[in-house]
Amino acid sequence: MVYAAGIDIGSAFSKAVVIAESKIISYHVIPSGGNYKLAADQVAGEALTKANLSFEDIDYTVATGYGASNVSFSNQVVTDISCQGRGIFYLFPTARTVIDVGGQFTKVFKVDDRGRTTAFLLSEKCAAGSGRFLQVIARVLQIDLKDIGELSLKSQNRVDFNTGCAVFAESEAISRIAEGASKEDILAGLHRTLAAKIQAMVERLGIEPDCALAGGGAKDIGLVKSIEERLGLGLLVPEEPQIVAALGAALIAEEKAASIEVCQ
Amino acid sequence: MTEYFAGLDIGSTMTKVVIMNQAILASVIGPTGPEHRKLANRVMEEALAKANLPFDDITYVVATGYGRISVPFADKQITEISCHARGVSYLLPGVRTVIDIGGQDCKGIKLSNGWAVDFVMNDKCAAGTGRFLEVMAEGLGVKLDDMGRLSLTAKNVARISSTCTVFAEQEVVAKLSEGVPLPDIIAGLHEAISVRIYSMVSRLKIEREVALTGGGAKNIGLVKALEAKLGYSVLVPPEPLLTGAIGAALLGEDIAKQAAESGTPLLRSERRLREATFFT
Repeated sequence: MVYAAGIDIGSAFSKAVVIAESKIISYHVIPSGGNYKLAADQVAGEALTKANLSFEDIDYTVATGYGASNVSFSNQVVTDISCQGRGIFYLFPTARTVIDVGGQFTKVFKVDDRGRTTAFLLSEKCAAGSGRFLQVIARVLQIDLKDIGELSLKSQNRVDFNTGCAVFAESEAISRIAEGASKEDILAGLHRTLAAKIQAMVERLGIEPDCALAGGGAKDIGLVKSIEERLGLGLLVPEEPQIVAALGAALIAEEKAASIEVCQ
Repeated sequence: MTEYFAGLDIGSTMTKVVIMNQAILASVIGPTGPEHRKLANRVMEEALAKANLPFDDITYVVATGYGRISVPFADKQITEISCHARGVSYLLPGVRTVIDIGGQDCKGIKLSNGWAVDFVMNDKCAAGTGRFLEVMAEGLGVKLDDMGRLSLTAKNVARISSTCTVFAEQEVVAKLSEGVPLPDIIAGLHEAISVRIYSMVSRLKIEREVALTGGGAKNIGLVKALEAKLGYSVLVPPEPLLTGAIGAALLGEDIAKQAAESGTPLLRSERRLREATFFT
């Protein structure tokens, strides 16, 4: 049996996926924290434990993400765009446009009918439009990031924000709370603002259905609905959207392992 | 009868009031805070007490700034661009370009014969505004007022690569933990913000003299960084925060004079300090 692993060290979360015969055997997600090397060891260790395997059992490991260079045990580093494209193609072969709302950046990219990434856009200069925006707001509203989605769906009277900037939105949210607006209505307004930023990126790249949403942001049901509303189409959302790049990395690793075997 | 004019500048961060009669009789500067609709009367009361005047004695009240509509007792609301232009040409005659670094915005204003003829503004993004430095001061654990002085002792100005305030905060905290000296980081922040401000204001044709106003002008490190970009010295009013409020009071005086000259009655609101009831 050939075992392959994909490790994705993101700015906010680290993910590991172990596969065999192109099927997921185990995966694990932890916060990256300040030490990426430690996060890589830990997340891979946990995934291996879940799979009842040890490091020696893995034939090939591909690392990806912001902190990929810190994965000491990887055989190769592949860009997160390529890994994500590969992962999405495996999960949704019909997806041609992919939106990845990550902790620090949002990426929009196109995938062709063979799972190759053909064009992409990054939001890296600005926290608006990324998961970071939601983290900032969750902190001021004193709510758990994972509760944002459900809460926002209860909104009766969405607050419209005048700003796209995460820093200004934070002060605006505080002012609106002081004026008596509910957290639900503020969150719904913020989802709309964030979705507008993402929509602008998608439109710059050109949208081609089907459209998939990945990254931690895809776990926020309020954001998913806001983006769908903005784009006017339904989104394909993986069951576990955070591990798409790690899954893609593992699939690439499996191909590498197979080609090595052929060579030998 | 002596005439008195009041100017209120309700900024996003600070509220400023001046009472003038040729010269400044009284001025008050306080934080705006989320309760700014209540604060407008409080600062006005305070300024009146300082000038030892009853509110009835004020001929005309002009409000300006981001929160100007929250001043129910003002006789007129005038944009901060016009008020800044008027204030600068009174304080520093001969100035042709004003760079106003406010708490939540940054403006470049071109003056011709003392009047605003063109302007550029950033109020969309916190980078390049006072808010940027405020967030950094918090992240670095230093007082905003100390940043200018601290930055002057920098030996190797750190390079801050993030534009976004949120990411820059993360970057400076990481730099601090890597052992980069605090003055070097702060000087790097002044460099980063001055690049951003300079490139925005450059959309206007910058002509000398250049004046710096707003809270940002109180930061000597930022003033020096901008002077380095411009290649010459800038002028800073003695209390740069009051520029807009002074301009507002002076424009009030202009309006009163015009009314007197043309014989039309001066339309004034009731002289009662009451709280605004907007947005409720």
